[in-house]
Order: sequence, then C-alpha cells, then structure tokens
Amino acid sequence: MAELRGSRLAALPATVLVVVALWEIIATRQQAAAVPADDAWASAAAVVRVGHRPGDLIVFAPDWADPIGRLHLGDLIPVEMAARMDAARYGRIWELSIRGAHAKDVTGLVPTEERDVGGVAVRRYDRAPAVVLADVREVLSTARSTGGGPRVELAEVGFEPHRCVVVVPPASKPVRITFPRLALGSELVGYVGIADVFTRRDDREPGTLSVEIAGAVVATVTAGIDAGWVRYQVPTTPGVAEVTFVISSASPRRQMCFAAETRR
Amino acid sequence: MRPLVSRRAVGWILAVLTTVVVIANQEQVGIARDEMVYMGAGDHYADWWGAYVTSLGGTISRPEVTSRAAITRTFGGPQVTDNNCEHPPLIKTLFGISHRLLHDRLGVNELTAYRLPSALLHGLLVLLVFSMVLELWGFGEAVVSALLVVFLPRALFHAGLACFDAPMMTLWFATIYTYWRCLDGRKWPWQVGVVFGLALATKHNALLLPFALGVHYLIAGFREGGLKGMVVFRWRVIVSLAVLGPLTLIAVWPWLWFDAYSHVKDWLAFHMTHVHYNFEYLGTNWNAPRFPWHVALVTTLFTVPVATLGAAVLGAGVWIANRRHGRGRTRAPGLLLVLSVVASMGPFFLGTTPIFGAEKHWMPALPSICIAAGVGTMWAARTLASFVHQQAVARRLVLGLVGGLVVGAAAVETVTAQPYALSWYNALAGGAPGGADLGMNRQFWGVAAAGTFPVLRAKVPPSLPVYSHDASPAWGFYGKLGELPRSLPDAGGEQAGISRSELAIVIHERHFNRHDYMIWNTYGMVQPIFVLRAHGVPIVSVYQRPRSPAAGKQP
Repeated sequence: MAELRGSRLAALPATVLVVVALWEIIATRQQAAAVPADDAWASAAAVVRVGHRPGDLIVFAPDWADPIGRLHLGDLIPVEMAARMDAARYGRIWELSIRGAHAKDVTGLVPTEERDVGGVAVRRYDRAPAVVLADVREVLSTARSTGGGPRVELAEVGFEPHRCVVVVPPASKPVRITFPRLALGSELVGYVGIADVFTRRDDREPGTLSVEIAGAVVATVTAGIDAGWVRYQVPTTPGVAEVTFVISSASPRRQMCFAAETRR
Repeated sequence: MRPLVSRRAVGWILAVLTTVVVIANQEQVGIARDEMVYMGAGDHYADWWGAYVTSLGGTISRPEVTSRAAITRTFGGPQVTDNNCEHPPLIKTLFGISHRLLHDRLGVNELTAYRLPSALLHGLLVLLVFSMVLELWGFGEAVVSALLVVFLPRALFHAGLACFDAPMMTLWFATIYTYWRCLDGRKWPWQVGVVFGLALATKHNALLLPFALGVHYLIAGFREGGLKGMVVFRWRVIVSLAVLGPLTLIAVWPWLWFDAYSHVKDWLAFHMTHVHYNFEYLGTNWNAPRFPWHVALVTTLFTVPVATLGAAVLGAGVWIANRRHGRGRTRAPGLLLVLSVVASMGPFFLGTTPIFGAEKHWMPALPSICIAAGVGTMWAARTLASFVHQQAVARRLVLGLVGGLVVGAAAVETVTAQPYALSWYNALAGGAPGGADLGMNRQFWGVAAAGTFPVLRAKVPPSLPVYSHDASPAWGFYGKLGELPRSLPDAGGEQAGISRSELAIVIHERHFNRHDYMIWNTYGMVQPIFVLRAHGVPIVSVYQRPRSPAAGKQP
C-alpha cells in the first residue's frame, strides 16, 4: 500500500476514512439526543389524558421505552391491564411510540387518530372488543386440581408480565385442573408459557398444556424455554361444559403459567 | 530546532494523562457489584503481605504468617470461592495495598484508592502501545495508536473499576510486547517469563496467550531457519515462558504454595464449568449454550469507535502490503498482533464460552486494533498529504487534520459514553438508543444505581428501606462513602426485600424485568417516580410505595 500512496486509487479509502470520522462525530451527538425528552413525553401524555376513557389500554413502543411511558401515564394503567393475557378485550388502545416502532398489541389495526408530539407519536385505535364469557383466572376457585398447587400470580413469562395460573407439575406426572361448568362461546383463546428466567436457564425441559372439553382433547401446546407466551385458539360450541387443562413437564421445577378466556 | 520533549517522553506524558483521565472519569461511575468482592479480598491479601514483610524483619514469627492455616484463612478455604480463590490475586492485592496506603494513611477517597492500580495500569498500557508502535512504525502512528487506546469508551470505563478486565488487557499486551522485545536474541530473556507470570496472576484468560505466542514462534522460527528454526529460533524465550511464568504466578499467589496441583485444578475447573449469566444480544436473552458464533465480532463492531475500526482495516491492509518490507520483519510484529486478537477472541466463536460481560472478556484484542488503526490513520493522512505538493506546512496540516479527525471521532464517542458506558453503543449501532433497538445488552453489575441517589436522598427523612436490587452488594459501601444516608437502608433481597421496602429500584436488564413485576404486584401500581436514562434509554427505575411517608416529596 505504501507504493499506492500518491495514486488516486489510494485517495479513495483515505477519503472514506475522513468522511467516516466526520460522520461519526456528528452522528454520535445527534443519536445521543435522538430520544424525546420528558417534556415531549409529558405533552404526549397530556394528549392521551384529554381523550382517555376508563378501561382504555395504553401501550408503548418500542418495548424499551415502556418505563418512560409508565412514568408519565402509569397512573392510568392498573396492574391487571399491564399484566393482561392479551389486548383483545380492549376496544380502545392508545399507543405512544418513538423511533417509528409499533406495539405488538396494535398489529393489523389502523389508527383512528394520530398526532406527533415532539417526536412521540400518539395513536388511538378503536375496534370491537372481544366479549369474554369466562376467564379461568377469575374462576380458579371453582376448579378441581390433581396437584401442582395452582394459584393466580403475576409472573414473568418470556420477559413479559402476565397474570396467569401458575402450576408446578411433578416430573412426568400431569396435573389436571378441571372447571366443571365453564361458560363457552364460539371460541376459547389461551396462552401458556414457562415462568421465571432463572429456572428456565437452569432447567431446559419444555412444558405441555392440553385442553379437554367434555373429555375430548381439543388443543395441545408445547411451551419451550424460549417460546415465551404461546397462543392457542379453539372453536367451541356455546353453552356450558366441563373444561380441563392438563399441564405436564419432564422437569420437577417447571413453573407452567397459563391463562384462557372463553369468548362469545 | 530541537523539540521541547523527546519522542519517548511523549509516551510517558500520554501515560500520565491517561491515568489522570481514568481517575477523573471513575469518580462519576457507580460501584460494580463485583468490585465489592475484589476490594474485600484485596484488603485481606494486602494485610497478609504486610504481615509477611514484617515477619522478614523478625518482628512477628514467620510461621504464624506462612503456615498452611494462615494462608488458607487469607487466600482460600474449603469452598471453591472462599476468599475469592477462584481468581488469581495480583490485581486484588494491588487494590488492597493501594487502599491501605492511599486511603488509610493519606486520606485519599476510599473508592479511588482501590481503583488507582487499574488506572495506573491503563496508563502503562498506553505507554507500551506507544513504545512498540514508535519503534516499528513511527511517531505519528505511535501517538494516534496511543490516543485511540485512551479513547475506547468501554475500555476507559473498565479501567476505572477495581476489577480484572482492564488490568488483564494491560498485562496481556505487556506479555505480547516483552515477548516481541525478547525475540531480539538476548541471552537472558527473563522479562517475558516474569510478565507472563504476572498476567497469569491477574486473570485466567492469560492462559490463552501461549496460543498466540506459540503459533507466532513457530512461524517466525520457520521463516528464520526452516523446520529447525521452529525449535531453536529463540529457544530461551520459550524456556522463560515455561519456567518463569508459572514460578512468578506461584510467587505472588501464596494459595499455590501448598497443594498447588489441587488448587490450580480447582481454579481452572471453576472457569471451565462457569454458570452462564443472562446476557442480551441482538434481541435474545442468552443464558445457555449454544451461543451465536458472531458475538465477539458484532459486539466489537458496535463497541469500538467506527473510525477506529475503519482505520484498523486500512492498517491491516498496510501490514499485509508491507509484510515483506516492514521494519523488524524477522519478529513479524503484525502477525503477532493479529494472533493476539485471534487468541483473545477465539474462544467466543466456539458457542460454548460464557458471553456475559461481552467485550470486557476479549478486551486484550483492543490494543492490536488500535495499533492497526494508528498505522491505517497515518497511511491515510500521508496519502492525502501527498496530494498537497506546495508546502511542508500544508502537508503537516493535512496529517494533523486526518489524525485529529479519527482521534476526535473516538474522543466524541468516549465522552458521550460516560458514565454509563455499558449502555453505550457506537454510531454504527445508533448510539445507546440504537443499541436498545437492536436488543443489545443494556448494562450489568448494577453500576448505574448511583445515578438515582439524588432522587432517593430527596425522600428522607424519615427512614425509608430501599429495595436496592443489583446494587445491594455495594449499598453499605455507598453509605460509608457518604453517598447514601443511613435513613435509606437496604431492605433486603428479592420478594422479602420488596415487601419490606418503601422505595425500590430496578436496574434495567431484560432478565430483571421480573423485578419490575414483583414490585408492581407488591406496591399495587406500575408507575415509577423516576426513570434514569442514558441518552433516552431507561437504565434504572425508582418506585415509591403508594401512601409511603415519602409521598409528596419531590426530588
């Protein structure tokens, strides 16, 4: 390369280096100030407060901005809402977003209102909410269990908060949780996952959830270590039926976490 | 005209300035949880050495100090982590000695006293880089290389901690440097063995050095004398490494003065079977193998200033182009520096080596990158200057401008990164926000907690127990330093601590989300009262229990 010095060809990489250095100096300072500050978030929060109705869901994007969003609007987000099973039961969703991100809860929805407030995009989505006939977390006390100590908890599943029924089934001995008279609509929607990052790290066995309606298996879902909050959905016949959730794992420490709603 | 200072003196000046910069920077940096362990162990070790030196004078009985029981009480124990015997003692001993001398006797700030040896060693690294480059490639290259070492944002951060990683980078490069010097054919190349032993006594990744040195020796030997040369090229250097290295390690680690085989075995077994901590990389939380093969490459790409990386690519090109003509070809310095990178990063391509800590574990690769960058920068500068035919002054101006831009870019990144450098990523990644978008690791060790202290202090009186999360190991020491009042005691760990607390902090790492949720559940709300951010990216949240006595007090 020493021989190249003085040639126009050599000037190219040398010039590129100079341009890169100049760009880095400018870009570094710009990037450091690229995230809207508290005044912008406060203004965006004020927009939400004006139009907010009780029961509206508020979400933030990207995920890492969630603490900032909760700092400004956390008083409008009950723990139950933050730890929701999913967003289907919410008819109005407010999304506060930066850097062009979108929350997964609004995937496929079109905003009815959108404003940019100092770099924070405020969007409102309206849609027909799912009508929930029964939520297994709310009627757990009516269920029979063959073990596993089922209890409703706010658990970390896939690094997200979910209020769910936590069961720790003995190794290779499935736990059956039976709701003798569960109101059914046209579908049953549920989720399952493995709670607790540390037991997920130390024990790599997956867990399985099967759903039986009136004795017939209608769904079987396997939740792997990194699968997160796994959705399943089965069509149902409106009425009342015995519904059983069967939870199993080869691991004796598996904290299985599930939730399910029957919907009209 | 005679220059005001000699070229070699410039290296010393840069070394001193580097040490000053590191000391000044660390004052803004909170305490890493691991520092608590190393500082405590260092005090024990320093006291033991103090007693040992005293025993040499006969004031106290030497067997009392050097007995198996006394050494075990200080350096080991029945468990594999007793007295932190899973890590060799050299740098911890220096932390302890510095603490005893500078704080206990001279009143220097306690934390700074512990951290000073790391800062001094970082200055030494800059001096060694400068010296090697000055000898091989010239003054301009030496200055730029040295400055690019100073302006490595993550390395500067680590150099201000009482931990192993920055000192290891220095001792690793010192071994590379002394090995290269000792290849000059001297009769007694004892220096390389001793320095290698000191590296071994600093951190276990020094065990990777023989891979770099061995391959280099074989190639350099073959070039010099064919197959025979691979053995006899500079055989005394190999003897020095093989004999003086282990002897030096044993000399500074009394734990190896008895049952050496068993203790070395335990030391290495600990690291061969190390637990995998949680670490976020490209949007996935990794805590079990197999890890992606490209962790070291991508992380380096995002944590070394972009201009430095670009210049290093040019520098590598210069090395390749000049491989048959460069100064000191027999000793193949370019090859040696490349092998240093390969040995340092190599294990992280296996997919099984723990990746927590990321770049700090392969920081020994960085001096080579900076040296290549220094060579590349000056090549680019001279190339562009060659188009300025008129005056020497104009050519010098171009040289200074190009060098200044590359160093300036690194300096801007470095200044921007502090004091939360673990959350910082370079301009290519998009800075801290870009790193968060990419799902790169946010931080570790709980260092950022210190940034919330003004908010917490504003909440007292009355006494308010704080769930201190990952800052818990350092909480008491913060109090001792006067950064936290006694009225903000640590409430304890996990759910019991949260239940007892009136205030709670969560240091944001992906696997720590669970602590947010535990607090929500306990406090019955999800709204923090403060979110500490690094360039807009949340790094610590502070919660206050509703109806707490602190309610209504604004920070």
